[in-house]
Amino acid sequence: MAWISKNWTMSGIIKGLIVTLKHVLRIGDRPTVTVQYPYEKMKLQPRFRGLHAVDENACIGCGICEVNCPNGTIQIVKHNTKWYPQVNIGMCLFCGICVDVCPMNAMKMTGNYELADYSRESLIYGPDRLLFNKEVKQ
Amino acid sequence: MWTGDIMFANTYELIVYILNYIGIYNSINDLFKMLGIEYVLRIIIVLVEIGVLFVFILLTVMFLTWMERKVVAMVQARYGPMVTGPRGLLQPVMDGVKLIGKEDLIPAKADRWVFTLAPFLIFIPALLVFIPLPFGESLIISDLKVGLLYIIAISAISPIAILMAGWASNNKYSLMGAIRAVAQDISYTIPLALSAIAVVLFTGSLSTVDIVTAQSGTWFGFIPKWFIFLQPLGFILFLIASIAEMGRIPFDFQESESELVAGFFTEYSGMKFAMFFLAEYAHLFSVSAIVVTLFLGGWSVPFLNFIPAALVPLISLGVFLVKTYAIIFFAMWLRDTVPRMRIDQLLNLGWKIMIPLALINLLVTAFLLTAGVF
Repeated sequence: MAWISKNWTMSGIIKGLIVTLKHVLRIGDRPTVTVQYPYEKMKLQPRFRGLHAVDENACIGCGICEVNCPNGTIQIVKHNTKWYPQVNIGMCLFCGICVDVCPMNAMKMTGNYELADYSRESLIYGPDRLLFNKEVKQ
Repeated sequence: MWTGDIMFANTYELIVYILNYIGIYNSINDLFKMLGIEYVLRIIIVLVEIGVLFVFILLTVMFLTWMERKVVAMVQARYGPMVTGPRGLLQPVMDGVKLIGKEDLIPAKADRWVFTLAPFLIFIPALLVFIPLPFGESLIISDLKVGLLYIIAISAISPIAILMAGWASNNKYSLMGAIRAVAQDISYTIPLALSAIAVVLFTGSLSTVDIVTAQSGTWFGFIPKWFIFLQPLGFILFLIASIAEMGRIPFDFQESESELVAGFFTEYSGMKFAMFFLAEYAHLFSVSAIVVTLFLGGWSVPFLNFIPAALVPLISLGVFLVKTYAIIFFAMWLRDTVPRMRIDQLLNLGWKIMIPLALINLLVTAFLLTAGVF
């Protein structure tokens, strides 16, 4: 008599059909969650970790970020008579430790995440591409 | 006109009537008569009909592929194709261009002849099914006296093509998929035919036009005289059996992506794959059209007796398409909701539940008809 205990009304299927129909007809709070990416971008959180940026005036070239970088991504190089970090994005894991350890709060991370490129060499971001001048901006 | 008297037996007569109405039929006919080749005119008209039908089916299939992706996307809270054309409407065209551009591969150890023949053998019956289907009043290629039998017989060719494709590919997944597909096809054709016979008991005719005209009018002035109300169990059985015969998702054992790569068309690429794909969606459309013809009153609709006679073919075509797309939407909706069954559940459902229920349905219908209840 196992067949008697089965759900012959198929209420499970009907419940599922109602749920999917609500999605099709957009009944209730069921918005489209995907984004048409190249044409439309998602709103980023303020703490999103993208490409680095270095404050030209604050950075003292101490090399603490270089020491603390877990992947050995950062290297301190000379740029216009001062020393600044250079980041190899191809190896970076965007952990944000360099931002945390910076004693001058000179290093920060922007919302730029479209970093794909054609060669490994162009993934090495030197100070010329990382530096920004806080005073000029203000 | 909605109450049963049909103006033209088929589209050929409709075209002749329209040509006469414009006033050019007699001159064309005289021209062909003068040359002594009257039959050529008839052939030309029939070829035009078939060409229009073919183009219509291909456009419908292209639209269905787009619609399927859109419905899945809406269920899954996505957009679906959006880039090509308005709302991605030209996506099927791009897919077609891509498939034509692909390399037409034949596996080295495949049976070349059977491998090449199988896509055609599955594609042509999918189109032949439309010959006795009434798309609207007098919009039918040929009103066969054995229309329903013809439809069931023609759809029974497809298991052979599936088995040919699976065997000739020389691939274990293809063969496994083909065997499953054939087992499924054969076990679900029986309840399909049995529940169709229960409808035929009411009409006493296998002609699809007779079946549609028997469903015009209303009971008590507000219930349409559709067979779904006389045969609710038959309708459900026919719908489930036809979805299973199509091999759509609750019963998609012929493909089952997670088990057999793509089933019997694993080894196909390019145009041959496109033919399997087109046949699948043409089959979806034809099966929905048959469900509408048998149970939902075909092109007939009650409460619209005031329409002028000249507009009837056009409006009835619209009504038929609306009903057919409702059934197609149901099939897509079901596909997006339920997961795949197990193979033993499928055969249990087919042989232990659907066939006995179809037989009981047929028996009760025959008994009630003989007793004179209807």
